[in-house]
Amino acid sequence: MNAPQDALVRGEGITRAFHRRGGLFSRGTPMLALRGVDIAVKRGEAVGVVGESGCGKSTLGRVMLRLLPPTDGRVLFEGEDLATLPAARLRALRRRMQLVFQDPYGSLDPRRTVGAQIADGMVIHGLATGAEAAERVPALLRQVGLDPDHAKRLPHEFSGGQRQRIAVARALSTQPDFIVADEPVSALDVSIQAQVVNLLADLRAELGLALMFISHDLHVVRHLCDRVVVMYLGRVMEEGSAAEIFRAPAHPYTRALLAATPSLRHRGAAAAPLAGEVPSIARPPSGCVFRTRCAFAQPRCAEAVPTLESLPGAGARRIACHRAAELP
Amino acid sequence: MRRSSIRALAVPGVLVLLVVLVALAAPILPLADPVRQDVANRLSGPSAGHWLGQDEYGRDVLSRIIWGARVSLTVAAVAAALAAIVGTLLGILGGYFRGLVELVTVRVAEIVLCFPPLLLALLVVTLLGPGAGTLVFSLAILFAPGFARVAYAETLSARALDYVTAQQALGARTRRILFLTLLPNIAPPLIVQFSLTVAAAMVLESGLSFLGLGVVPPSPSWGLMIRGARASMEQAPLLLFWPCLALTGTVLVLNLLCDRLRDVLDPRGKAAGRPGFLGRLIALPPAPAPRQAPGLLTVDGLTLSVPGPKGPIEVVRDVGFTLAPGETLAIVGESGSGKTLTGLTVMGLLPAAVKPVAGSILFTGRDGRVRDLLRLPEPEMRSLRGRDLAMIFQDPSSSLNPLLRIGSQLAETLRAHGVRNGVRDRVIGLLRQVGLPDPERAADAYPHEISGGQRQRVMIAAAIANGPRLLLADEPTTALDVTVQAQILALLADLKRAEGGMGMAFVTHNLAVVGEIADRVLVMYAGEVVEEGPVADVFAAPRHPYTAALIASMPEGDAERLTAIPGAVPQPWAMPAGCRFAPRCTLAAEACRATAPALTEVAPGRSSRCLRWKEVA
Repeated sequence: MNAPQDALVRGEGITRAFHRRGGLFSRGTPMLALRGVDIAVKRGEAVGVVGESGCGKSTLGRVMLRLLPPTDGRVLFEGEDLATLPAARLRALRRRMQLVFQDPYGSLDPRRTVGAQIADGMVIHGLATGAEAAERVPALLRQVGLDPDHAKRLPHEFSGGQRQRIAVARALSTQPDFIVADEPVSALDVSIQAQVVNLLADLRAELGLALMFISHDLHVVRHLCDRVVVMYLGRVMEEGSAAEIFRAPAHPYTRALLAATPSLRHRGAAAAPLAGEVPSIARPPSGCVFRTRCAFAQPRCAEAVPTLESLPGAGARRIACHRAAELP
Repeated sequence: MRRSSIRALAVPGVLVLLVVLVALAAPILPLADPVRQDVANRLSGPSAGHWLGQDEYGRDVLSRIIWGARVSLTVAAVAAALAAIVGTLLGILGGYFRGLVELVTVRVAEIVLCFPPLLLALLVVTLLGPGAGTLVFSLAILFAPGFARVAYAETLSARALDYVTAQQALGARTRRILFLTLLPNIAPPLIVQFSLTVAAAMVLESGLSFLGLGVVPPSPSWGLMIRGARASMEQAPLLLFWPCLALTGTVLVLNLLCDRLRDVLDPRGKAAGRPGFLGRLIALPPAPAPRQAPGLLTVDGLTLSVPGPKGPIEVVRDVGFTLAPGETLAIVGESGSGKTLTGLTVMGLLPAAVKPVAGSILFTGRDGRVRDLLRLPEPEMRSLRGRDLAMIFQDPSSSLNPLLRIGSQLAETLRAHGVRNGVRDRVIGLLRQVGLPDPERAADAYPHEISGGQRQRVMIAAAIANGPRLLLADEPTTALDVTVQAQILALLADLKRAEGGMGMAFVTHNLAVVGEIADRVLVMYAGEVVEEGPVADVFAAPRHPYTAALIASMPEGDAERLTAIPGAVPQPWAMPAGCRFAPRCTLAAEACRATAPALTEVAPGRSSRCLRWKEVA
């Protein structure tokens, strides 16, 4: 565990269990959405978290912001364990970490003007009185490329892309250092998606934000992120620099994911699609969780859980695969 | 407050105010003493001195109704308000915190529901003694659990919403989340509950007063009046009528006010009603003569309109395309482009609000007959659907009936089109054909027991069950993960090879998927076809700026920045006069803004709706 000391936010060995509805006295079967995940985001760095539904990427985002407490492991913000902070300290710290949601239709309160919602953060944290906050709203709207006069409107008067900009403005209002963006563009049309991705890239460059960008779309991640973490069934499969991972994906799952993503460039060149589907997290496979769908699986893959280890010859790249050294 | 809100609230607001004012003004109105008896004139009808007649003790009915309103309204309104405040508080706390708090708030409140109301009221009166105050107290106890339950249920569904989590993420205190975010959003059903409670409280007040538990005679109350009039119903029916009218009228006016209030508080306004059946009967103009021999499907000049506040709005305009047997056509566009509506029109499944106003859809059936699907009577359309025409929808989890086993849903599809023998074997065969592992077990499973990708396979099995000539797929992979999407695309490609001659129309927003599956592509924007042609040609050299921009905005390649299309798709009711893409187009010139370009052939088999297509790089 020698994560660099300059990490702004660091998750260490994060495990998160959900309980299926049990009886009155039993808690039901625990389902482990995350199992021993280590992740670090440095100041000004954009880390992409990719994986299919059920891989735990959204849960990880919420655990990193302590909107969900981890069942095991800890989250450090500037070296402070969020779990040990008193409630008031944690609330104050929330000014510095923000969340942008996937669904721009559900993330804004339909009954309050967008101006009031953007001002919320400033009022809550005492950065400005109500009137002062309202004065700063137009500047924030302009910063995300919206008409500053629209503060008085209600969310339903905006399109999906515009709402997502409003959600970004709300997240920016408290001048945070760390933003978790949970699939912020997947509900948007392609042409609008590009607008929001560019906006996030610009804001990151301007404000030096640390960004955790959760997505199932590898192409978008590649555009925005410095580093990528590939997850499958609650575990990290591979991590490394975005450019490296896209140039030469190492883990069999990363390779399959890239091959399955349709692309205009390599039309029809896709390899045989990955067989089967993601197993249920209530009954994960023993050993390596990916082995049931892996083309390279061997009996030993069922026995032990592979640890995340540096790939021979590639410094920052780490993969969790028993056969890392033998893969073709 | 907006002017329309004031107008909506004006009538019921004034009526409620009138009732309240009259009740308040009772002491200064020139009314007879409501308790002065005149036994000689008991049960006499309306007269100049007593407009509404006299009751069983000869008291003035009008005076008693107005004085009674004071008691009835006060008791009902105060009790309902008390119940609403206490119940909502309990429900919202229980729903937000769950766990132990839920146990001591909502569950305890529900215990009250276990007692018979009268027994509970008796208990309260025994403890506190009769009177209006006691009545208010016991009514509030009786009605609070109702509010608690509604508030609890609404809070449960609202607390999981993103905008509530957003408040938490912003660092808001719980109190702020409860009262600033949750309460306004769970208010509408509570307002309805309030109006129902006031009405119920008025009725219950009468019952309790009758038992001597509430208002003590001879003070007037509507409940006491109804009870008193019941005995002499046969001699003086009007005596029963007046208090009932007062009670019903007040309750109705109150309900109206609360309903309007709920609508006004909803920022999205009232949903527009659907046009009636008659609106759909408006005949289409006769079909134009087909310009060319129809292949499998020829759509020509299709225009769809929806009613708008300022006249009909054309949401799809002059859409045309052909589909040859064995061909796959992709219809691509962003939300609002009209791609899904076009697909639904072919299937004859348009929502009631959308009306076709022009065009024709010529379809060659399995029997070789050419039919115009736009003008086909519904029974004939129904016999084509599921046999010659089949459709796969976007969301596999909502297109299957959750209560039926998968096998029986497929069997139903087969039986509906005349298959009688060996249905079970056919079902298993179909499930095997779409690549479900262990088809026997899958046939006996319920939809929730299989995964989303497998459900989509089942939907595909249902679609191809009767060997359709045309398969319409509306975003069939959008809800799926990429690895599963790749499997479904491969399956569809296999099926097309196996079922020779089946044409497929594939509606999608994803250009990369188009490249994987389609032979030809139809690009739609703002309800119009902007470009059409073979996939490889269109992708290699688009001839419409929108297609070019869409391709450029795909997050692929090594460019540092994505190429975004500025602006947004224009709203259907505010379409630009000229080219609909002109406001977002980098090539737009004066001519583009002035005239709407027509779809022109730019090469054999390729067309573009652009005046400057030669300049599109």
